[in-house]
Amino acid sequence: MDNGGFFPEEADSLYRDKAWFLMDGMVLLGTDAVGMSEKELKYGRGWLLAQLKRSRLPMTNANVWDKQTKKTLLPPYLIIKKGGVNVGVFALNSDKIDLGPARDSLTLEEPAKAAARVIPEMKKKGATVIVLLSQLGKVESEDLVTAVDGIDAVICGRNVPVLQKGRMIKNTVACYGGEQGQNIGRTIITLDAAKHMQTGENDVFVLGPEVGEKPEVLQLTKSFNDAFNDKMRKLEKERAVQSSTQTGGEGQAAKQPVDHFVGSEVCQRCHMPEYAQWLKTDHAKAWQTLVDQKKESTPECVTCHVVGYKQAGGFQTADDAPKLGNVQCENCHGMGTQHEAMPASPPKITETTCRTCHNATTSPTFDFAIYEPHIVHKTPANMPPLPPKPANSSMKSGH
Amino acid sequence: MKSLTVRLVAAAVALGIAAALLGAAAPAKVLEPGKLIILSTTDVKGKNEPCG
Repeated sequence: MDNGGFFPEEADSLYRDKAWFLMDGMVLLGTDAVGMSEKELKYGRGWLLAQLKRSRLPMTNANVWDKQTKKTLLPPYLIIKKGGVNVGVFALNSDKIDLGPARDSLTLEEPAKAAARVIPEMKKKGATVIVLLSQLGKVESEDLVTAVDGIDAVICGRNVPVLQKGRMIKNTVACYGGEQGQNIGRTIITLDAAKHMQTGENDVFVLGPEVGEKPEVLQLTKSFNDAFNDKMRKLEKERAVQSSTQTGGEGQAAKQPVDHFVGSEVCQRCHMPEYAQWLKTDHAKAWQTLVDQKKESTPECVTCHVVGYKQAGGFQTADDAPKLGNVQCENCHGMGTQHEAMPASPPKITETTCRTCHNATTSPTFDFAIYEPHIVHKTPANMPPLPPKPANSSMKSGH
Repeated sequence: MKSLTVRLVAAAVALGIAAALLGAAAPAKVLEPGKLIILSTTDVKGKNEPCG
């Protein structure tokens, strides 16, 4: 199951491709039920409904109503038969969210009211286990299962932190699985003779490289990634040509503001030892890791693998990679043109600087104390080794 | 880097097998309570693999 919020955050229509790809991927996975957040309405209700029909992804939601038909936009619940057990699944949104382009045609019902309505209906239809896919956030999810009886398990979503062990909230086992598909929650429900929940427990696991692959899903993913990245590359080139045309082909330097990025080639003229030390770090290979993953045209990735992405003098397109690819001097020390303004002792680089890119989302296992000695220019004599990289290492696994 | 969806499939298959074995191991005379295993993801936000 997935509790919704799986559509991309980018409003750019190009990213709709990712939305339908993920829908197809979930169907291939055999996903039994998917919740819905406002993200799934980002490209409009018509587009969502058409894609649900095409993909046959079983999406549900109990408290988003169509103003015109006076029915819920999606089936308010699903009854899933598994091994002789009827599992009732429903999904809820907060009634305070913005429904985006669908806000004029849809309306939100108070979550507890919707829950109190659908739970008896599911039980009447034979469901003996009730699961809530919640987009209410941590506190509101917990409040709801405390206030409304009959929910056996809740999958908590919407900016919810990861908890390796779930917990019981009154009579409901709660799962806190984090975000961005980095983890998978496993909820084990023990059933009595009448197929009702006896006990419940939950664990959350990191989806690391040690988890194996299934060929057909790998093929689907590879095909999609190749096509998507080609599309992004083409678009990037078109935008670069358009930009050049608009500026009369004067080139970037001619219209550059006083303060701009210059690239490490300029810095190394006076700071050769520091430059030589930097060349040995992973920062000096950051661009290549994107190229290896075919992500060199994906904006949300590029920004942390180059100098000054889309800023004055900074990286604009892949053509700038030889000069401005990688995490260079200016990523930590600031624009080269501001060099003269620096005091004799330059400002100290702190963890805050690193956290710009190594944040909880992109680099959840990043430990400043462990990694900092590996990038400072005066390498400590007794430097501890970096943690071993997994077979397919990534920034997310602790880069 | 392996994709999220690939990993999910593998995890689902592995856990599905575990669930099947639990059921198969239950002797006919002493019936143990059944178990329902729910695998879930949350707030995927369009991410199918890390950047690099």
